[in-house]
Amino acid sequence: MSKPTDLVQGTVDLLILKTIALEPLHGWGIAQRIRQVSKEVLQVNQGTLYPALHRLEQSGWIRAKWGGSDNNRRAKFYALTPAGRKYLQQEEANWQRLSTAIGLVLETS
Amino acid sequence: MRWIHKWRLRLRSLFQKSRVEQELTEELRFHLEKLMEENLARGMTREESRYAALRELGGVEQIKEECRDMRRVNYIESFLQDVRYGLRMLAKNPGFTAVAVLTLALGIGGNVAVFSLLDAVSLRPLPYSHPDRLFMLFPIETKSQRAMVSSSYPNFQDWYEQSHAFDGMAAFHEEPLNLTDTPEPERLDGLSSTPGLFALLGIHPLLGREFGPDDHQHVVLLSYELWQRRFGGDAGIIGKSIHLEGRTCTVLGVLSPHFHFPPHRWGPAPEVFVPVIPNPERGQNYLRVIGRLAPGITEQQARTEMNGIAARLAGAYPGTDRDQGIDVEPLGQYVVSDVRQTAWVLLGAVAFVLLIACTNVANLLLSQGATREREIAIRTAVGATRSRIVRQLLTESLLLAGMGGALGAALAYWTLPLVTSAVPQHTSFFTRVHDAGFELNSTVFIFTVLLSVLSCALVGLLPAWRTTKPARSSGASLRTGRIRGALIGFEVALSFVLLAGAGLMMKSLVRLLEVDVGFRTERLLTMDVNLAGEKYSSAEKQAAFFGQVLQRLESLPSVLSVGAIVKLPLTRTSSRYGFEIPGSQPRQGFAAFHAVSPNYFRTMGIPLLRGRELLTGDSARSPLVGIVNRSMAQKYWPSENPVGKAIRVYRAFVVSTAKGSSYQFKPEELEIVGIVGDVRQLGLDAPPTPELFMSYTQWASNEMALVLRTASEPFSLIPKVKKEIWRVDPDQPVTDIKTMDELVSIEAAERRFVLQLIGVFASIALVLAAVEIYGVGSYGMRQRTHEIGIRMALGARGQQIMWMVAGQNAKWLLIGIMAGVASARALTRLLAAYLYAVRPTDPLTFVAVALLLLAVALLAVYIPARRATKVDPMVALRYE
Repeated sequence: MSKPTDLVQGTVDLLILKTIALEPLHGWGIAQRIRQVSKEVLQVNQGTLYPALHRLEQSGWIRAKWGGSDNNRRAKFYALTPAGRKYLQQEEANWQRLSTAIGLVLETS
Repeated sequence: MRWIHKWRLRLRSLFQKSRVEQELTEELRFHLEKLMEENLARGMTREESRYAALRELGGVEQIKEECRDMRRVNYIESFLQDVRYGLRMLAKNPGFTAVAVLTLALGIGGNVAVFSLLDAVSLRPLPYSHPDRLFMLFPIETKSQRAMVSSSYPNFQDWYEQSHAFDGMAAFHEEPLNLTDTPEPERLDGLSSTPGLFALLGIHPLLGREFGPDDHQHVVLLSYELWQRRFGGDAGIIGKSIHLEGRTCTVLGVLSPHFHFPPHRWGPAPEVFVPVIPNPERGQNYLRVIGRLAPGITEQQARTEMNGIAARLAGAYPGTDRDQGIDVEPLGQYVVSDVRQTAWVLLGAVAFVLLIACTNVANLLLSQGATREREIAIRTAVGATRSRIVRQLLTESLLLAGMGGALGAALAYWTLPLVTSAVPQHTSFFTRVHDAGFELNSTVFIFTVLLSVLSCALVGLLPAWRTTKPARSSGASLRTGRIRGALIGFEVALSFVLLAGAGLMMKSLVRLLEVDVGFRTERLLTMDVNLAGEKYSSAEKQAAFFGQVLQRLESLPSVLSVGAIVKLPLTRTSSRYGFEIPGSQPRQGFAAFHAVSPNYFRTMGIPLLRGRELLTGDSARSPLVGIVNRSMAQKYWPSENPVGKAIRVYRAFVVSTAKGSSYQFKPEELEIVGIVGDVRQLGLDAPPTPELFMSYTQWASNEMALVLRTASEPFSLIPKVKKEIWRVDPDQPVTDIKTMDELVSIEAAERRFVLQLIGVFASIALVLAAVEIYGVGSYGMRQRTHEIGIRMALGARGQQIMWMVAGQNAKWLLIGIMAGVASARALTRLLAAYLYAVRPTDPLTFVAVALLLLAVALLAVYIPARRATKVDPMVALRYE
């Protein structure tokens, strides 16, 4: 397994938002999910995960709620707000455009 | 919706901090436990798994801090922390805090008080509908560009009919009217106007309606106050009759409470409103004209159109309208033009006081900063950034400024009644303050808050910047010394400007009170008598009354002499009338016409320069004669002797028609029989204008002011004088009883008011500057105690030490005075309108002010320097 790629700021936000778009997750779950889905390529630095979650919450994109996890332990679950859902679509579109553009540049040069 | 969510979160972070913190801890613990579980599953021991988990997550506390930063309330939190800390610091130094807060309160309070004055006088809009579209129109002399106050009726009519720029126009003049045929006759302030004045202002009467062009002359509108006071608020008063000047007038309407439309910039609010009596003489200027601009028309367009009309009128009526233009001025500006600048000048002066106060406090903070070097060094050592410390120091300044502002507002609130009572009557200040009210409203409140924030910045920035500057060497304290010196210089310069302003005002006031008014003012008692009613409808009856009164008063003991005149000198009133000088080329002239008693000139002490006085023999049956003043003689007969010359004057008489009565004018010959000296008729500072005096027996008036020259103190005579007047007719009100010295004092009142305010500001400035110089001197001495000890131990004498300590500040003092002279030269011209016979850069005043400042400053420097010489070298050497 190659060294997990460090994620640039901004992409973390996008990944978090996309990850919780399906169902509300707690911080641990988000980190795990990203790792699994990216087939162990992407690893969110756990030190930056929580500040990022708090920032997204303060910006009103996501909302936190306490709920029960496995073993009946209390955990903080994050879910998208309607505004966050719109924001995610927008960011996804941006990302697509950007990666297509980068791909174009890489192909031609 | 998003922002509601965001704010809920912020408020939660602020006010439920412990809960939010606990949640954060719990959230991270959950994550740690999950990590540990994973590690345990990989076969680590419990201990190992825990350390591995902590390593993987990174510093928990750092993550927490980063999460806290994301809450975006840490600025507020650290601010609140600074506030708490600042309050503790201020409480620890009660002396410093008290001095700083008081100083700032003086500065801010003064500004708030003066700003309230400015607000009342000039910032609040006039209480009419769309007041910004209302304009005053007045003739100006095109050659000199000198504005004239009023226009004539025919000119007003032409302006109105020929202009399109105005939606409406009305003309008015003041007219005191006696309420008669009641048990208590009373003189009322009245306003005569052309129909439509109220509609023009956008004012609807509370009851009834205003008069229109089809109403006859004998209708009246009452002010709300008069309606309440004299008619008990009678709801059925519309259509009833009241008597004014003995004439029956029908009440058409009652105005709303607080309606105020003074005929002048200043003066009492009229209580009765009657139709104007048209005077067909085009040369007879007695009407002020107001107009409302039509929609879409600019001031400039209106002015252009009116100038076209003026040119046409000048062509058509060269005798009266030649060289006459028409100017327009917004009503708001017209009403306050003479005080707005004063209010701004006062605000400027008091702003200087605030600057001085801020400088004082800044200097205090600087010396504070020196004693807090240790504290700041420790804070820096444990990682506080410079901006963080500056923020903390600024928070302390903000606390000081906030407390100063609150106390200042309270001070202003308490002193406002004092200032209000000092506002002189008979000035537009008084009228506007009376009219608009003088209060601490929201505008004033916002001003206070802004001012406090500004003072905080002024007070705090420099010391905070200085104090947190990393000290490199002992040179830093030397530089601080230079900053303090510069602050002293700044303060001295500001004080100089204020003192120079006060000095100039004082000198003008003295000069003004020294003006030769043209008569002797001492022991002159004056009063007004206005005859009203049918009883005095004819000239003969009026003359007979005054003849009897004069005769009776003459015989009173301790009355040396008695005279009468229509309008007293120094009361700012005189009516200009036109006359004609016959000859091969008849000339038009204008002069104030006065009916006087023959004894008037002798009573007043006005010298007869040529010809003869008026005599009791000049009666209704003998030819009309008059006396001119020196100004009239010089203006119209510059190279001739006017005595013996004849002029043509116009006598008004009442013509009764079916529609009511109106004034008409008939020409009459008058022979000039004498010339008297000029008096200051219009005011102490107004140069004399042409005046014509006729005997009251030939040119009767129902209104005369009596003047009595008394042998003793005038006031004691009042009861006797009233008794004698009432022996002639018990129904006549005797009003406005004053001594001539009082009239002189009223004349100087506005200047005195401005002088008082500027004087107060200048005194505060001087005291603050002295305190400052003293404080800096003492501080400098304390800092150099060690050095002084060494010098003295080495044999320096007391005097040398004194010069050394004093010299340090003397330099800045001199620089300050020089800067003050330069600024004062530039700024005192703003006072020019209040200066009389003194130039704004009067060198003597400047020198006197410089000497005063120097004397005070030297004293403030001397005391600490003197103390320096008393230092015991041994004590000083041990001092650290």
